[in-house]
Amino acid sequence: MMPLHCMSRVWREPARLVVFLGFLLNPLLLSALDVPPLTGRIVDLAGALPAHDAEQLSARLEAHEQQTGNQVAVLILPSLEGEPVEEYSHRVATTWRLGRKETDNGVLLLIALKERKLRIEVGYGLEGTLTDLRSAHIIRNEIVPRFKAGDIPAGVRAGTDAILQTIEGTYQAAESPTRDRQLLQSSAFQYVIIGVFVGFLAGLVLSQGLRRARALLGAVLTFMVAQAASILWGVAAAGLTAVLLWMALSAKGPGRRRGFDDWTWYRSSRGGWSGGSFDHGGFSGGGGDFGGGGASGDW
Amino acid sequence: MGRVYMIVLGVLMTGGLWGCGYNDLQGLDEDTKAAWSEVVNQYQRRADLIPNLVATVKGYAAHEKETLEGVVQARAQATGIQVTPEMLKDPAAFEQFQKAQAGLTSALGRLIAIAENYPNLKADQNFRDLQSQLEGTENRITVARKRYIDRVAEYNKMVRYFPTNLTAKFILHLDERPNFSVADEKAVAKPPEVKF
Repeated sequence: MMPLHCMSRVWREPARLVVFLGFLLNPLLLSALDVPPLTGRIVDLAGALPAHDAEQLSARLEAHEQQTGNQVAVLILPSLEGEPVEEYSHRVATTWRLGRKETDNGVLLLIALKERKLRIEVGYGLEGTLTDLRSAHIIRNEIVPRFKAGDIPAGVRAGTDAILQTIEGTYQAAESPTRDRQLLQSSAFQYVIIGVFVGFLAGLVLSQGLRRARALLGAVLTFMVAQAASILWGVAAAGLTAVLLWMALSAKGPGRRRGFDDWTWYRSSRGGWSGGSFDHGGFSGGGGDFGGGGASGDW
Repeated sequence: MGRVYMIVLGVLMTGGLWGCGYNDLQGLDEDTKAAWSEVVNQYQRRADLIPNLVATVKGYAAHEKETLEGVVQARAQATGIQVTPEMLKDPAAFEQFQKAQAGLTSALGRLIAIAENYPNLKADQNFRDLQSQLEGTENRITVARKRYIDRVAEYNKMVRYFPTNLTAKFILHLDERPNFSVADEKAVAKPPEVKF
């Protein structure tokens, strides 16, 4: 019994498909350089770092993350293929989602060998310490002189060292997130309780109709309210209302026994919610965001 | 019994609003405002850097009066505009803001371009630092604008798409928002003219 115009949601999918196809055909987007997969803290696609250096650096970055929570990664590319370094580096940083979600404490050092360009991309949370100016100084004074001398590994080492020194001690271990979660759960709980209450009442108040229809209506109403917490909570609350209503109505009046029809209807109509994130093992971004802070340079 | 039905109807309508983007629209409305604040914030940051920059350039190239004054004027124009939330709803005011900021962008471009002619200025530590900060800010502006453009596009879609447009129009009274235009992008992307 939702207002009629809700039904036209169906039309949105084809529209999206058209837009999506349009994107596929857009030559500009086709030529854009892909973001490489985040295989580790050091992603060296140009093979510029000897394995020994890469390992050492990676260990250093890992130790730093354990100590401070800051996520620092290095990407070395053979070429940018015509893309502006700022745009590409922001795209990589936001795709990799370096840094923690609440603190946005990620840093990306990106180096493009062919264009001889580099950039330090700084997450929102570190902009205060690793400022644009500080990033520019690191590039200008630590990295570029070594790159100019032809020693890429030394430049990367000196650069990451300077970055780590700058941001060391800036991050206090996050207070245990339990409080936030409790808060979230309690508000989710409110939605669920109100939802069940509203759905149950509505189901009871309706004097006519089949028991099944009334339980269904109550469940749908509950879902509408409780989905504000999350889809999962909505489904759970709706199920609860359906069961409660079914029991209450069975106790009260006549009605056909139809077993678990409502349940099967419900499960099939709202099947499949998205799963949680998968841990690939190894290194992955923590959900940090980037607002374009940092500096670029060339050599 | 009539009253009971009214209650049920009310509950259903509330539920229907949820289903038809009431919350989504409200959320997107807030999102666009937040994205807009970030844009304004970054533009402000740029404006704050300019007095220092002008003073530094003056030290080396005091006779480039025209360019220097151009920057000062453009800055005054850009900061003179009162930024209000109402601006988001008013295409004309939005356009004006956009134009003023684009004017400042090109005036700054000219200033940086003339710096190329003064090796001493280019080597000045203070100038280099200011230039890095300016570059950083321009980049943040780009990011903030991009985010705003995305948010507004999303919002406008919701306001125009069929089921949700009814909620937007009749219940929330939300209108489409002006976005940064391509013409403006072109003006910004245009390389500054270099005069000799």
